[in-house]
Amino acid sequence: MRSIQRRLSLGLISVMVIVGLVLAQTSLWLFEMGLQRYLEAGLRNDSENLLVALVRGPQGLQLDERHLAPAYQRPFSGHYFRIDFADSHWRSRSLWDQELPRLEQPGLESNLQLGPEGQQLLVLRSDYRRLGQSISISVAQDYTPVRESFLRMQQVGLGLGLSGLLLILLLQRITVRRALRPLETAREQIAQLQLGQRSQLDDQVPLELEPLVAQINHLLAHTEDSLKRSRNALGNLGHALKTPLAVLLSLASSVQLDAHPQLRKTLKQQLEQVQQRLNRELNRARLAGDALPGALFDCAGELPGLLATLNMIHGEHLTLSYRVAAGLQLPWDREDLLELLGNLLDNACKWADADVRLSVLETAEGFELSVEDDGPGIPEDRREQVFSRGTRLDEQTDGHGLGLGIVRDIVDTWSGVLHLQESEWGGLKVLIELPKRT
Amino acid sequence: MRLLLVEDHVPLADELMAGLNRQGYAVDWLADGRDAVCQGSTEPYDLIVLDLGLPGLSGLEVLARWRADGLAAPVLILTARDSWAERIEGLKAGADDYLSKPFHPEELHLRIQALLRRSHGQVNQPTLEAAGLHLDEGRQCVNREGAQIQLTAAEFRLLRYFMLHPDQILSKGHLAEHLYDGETERDSNVLEVHVNHLRRKLGRSVIETRRGQGYLFGGQAR
Repeated sequence: MRSIQRRLSLGLISVMVIVGLVLAQTSLWLFEMGLQRYLEAGLRNDSENLLVALVRGPQGLQLDERHLAPAYQRPFSGHYFRIDFADSHWRSRSLWDQELPRLEQPGLESNLQLGPEGQQLLVLRSDYRRLGQSISISVAQDYTPVRESFLRMQQVGLGLGLSGLLLILLLQRITVRRALRPLETAREQIAQLQLGQRSQLDDQVPLELEPLVAQINHLLAHTEDSLKRSRNALGNLGHALKTPLAVLLSLASSVQLDAHPQLRKTLKQQLEQVQQRLNRELNRARLAGDALPGALFDCAGELPGLLATLNMIHGEHLTLSYRVAAGLQLPWDREDLLELLGNLLDNACKWADADVRLSVLETAEGFELSVEDDGPGIPEDRREQVFSRGTRLDEQTDGHGLGLGIVRDIVDTWSGVLHLQESEWGGLKVLIELPKRT
Repeated sequence: MRLLLVEDHVPLADELMAGLNRQGYAVDWLADGRDAVCQGSTEPYDLIVLDLGLPGLSGLEVLARWRADGLAAPVLILTARDSWAERIEGLKAGADDYLSKPFHPEELHLRIQALLRRSHGQVNQPTLEAAGLHLDEGRQCVNREGAQIQLTAAEFRLLRYFMLHPDQILSKGHLAEHLYDGETERDSNVLEVHVNHLRRKLGRSVIETRRGQGYLFGGQAR
């Protein structure tokens, strides 16, 4: 979608240009018509003067020079005439060697070109009868100065119009921006929402936006609420299924079954499968993924607790450390991230001899999480298998090979990439690249 | 070793009680959170196994109250809610270990064993070591200078308690409190008989009698 601002500007420009051009051109045309009427009156006057100057002389009709205006005598003065009789015609001296063409019919004609100077002529032909002859008198006047001043006027008008248009656009931009400011604020807040910097939109908005913002806020609250409820329900379901499962597992190892080793083995295997599947699916269902935009994970606040928990589970002989920039916050759900890091670190702790390190780096593209241990590592050709479903590379230590599957699920949900590398201590380094949320 | 098990699911509690009794632990069982708060802080338990989903009062709340009352016994949380966020919450409330359901009974036994040793300042090794003796808790027998000595269940319980508390004077009353659950008749003569059996098997000097005070284990090792 194009922006509203651009749409408004475009619409306004086209309307202004079309209306402006039509208006300017029409008024110019009307003005020219008026001017021509005025000049026509002068020309008619001139032609009547010429008619008066026509007197009967010794050789028929002749022009009384005394009645002629001096401009007719000076070459290319801008005033010309031509008098047509039945068989001949006279020209004014001012025409010099040029011919003033006779108009087809009486009336005004405005676009005749004449002479070396290319003068624009306004010509008026009038027909008379005098002294028993039909006479057609054409009077012409140089129209070039008028044309030039019209052109100048047009240019000035165009310039004024253009600057007016610019001014209007500027004003319109300011007005529109001011009018759209609440929209812009909402847009910024939604961006902040995506980055996890806020959890609700500000509801102090104009009337037009109120339903939108209220609806978004409602949706956010609803999503958060239903996530909480489904997590709770999953917890209950897990509790309801896992406790009987624990009883069954315990029964499977009871002494009564000592006499039936085969039965015990099958029971245990099946129960373990149920347990693994249950854990994985329940954990996967708990993931918030991208559902909640307002989520935020405060590294400095959460990591010490997580590391303390791991230390307690795995014993104090492990040194767990983390490297995180001060104040770094990750834009994902707290429980999801704890699950991801918890499982990764838990796995690292199972393998490590003494050291496990977590690093969180903010890069231009997103975030890089890495967990390193100083354990035996994984040979390069076996790394591929670690995260594939059902493989249990951590069979030798306690745990059920489930944690890393969940790690993969979480990373996939966030469209991240997972790499297995060798750590600087020779153990395994799990590197996770997570793109920024947009 | 006397344990408190707080678990509201009766079949699981039965199973756990049976398993723990076989491991030589005296176990008291409670199903309600409110009872647990009360009994946990009055009886001298060596370790508490606590389920989080309890009627009456949630396990985390129970734990928080115990810790607020100054209860020092290690607490192992048993729960079906195994997300890391919940684990962190549990350990923040004062738990010492966390086992998620379902689990293998052996895993629970190992965790309890490790937790008990840790809380008594012992390193986690396959066998429990004190005063030149190596106690194999899984097989309930003791190894002294390469010779393996079989123990009865009662002797094993007593010896394990002594070995977790070496160089400490333990009165008969104290021993009875920690070796028998709340429902067993406590007879100090029975205790004396077991101590004598242990002396016969391991040598007289292993357990000294301090008149009017009680017994001292491992005193000669200094």
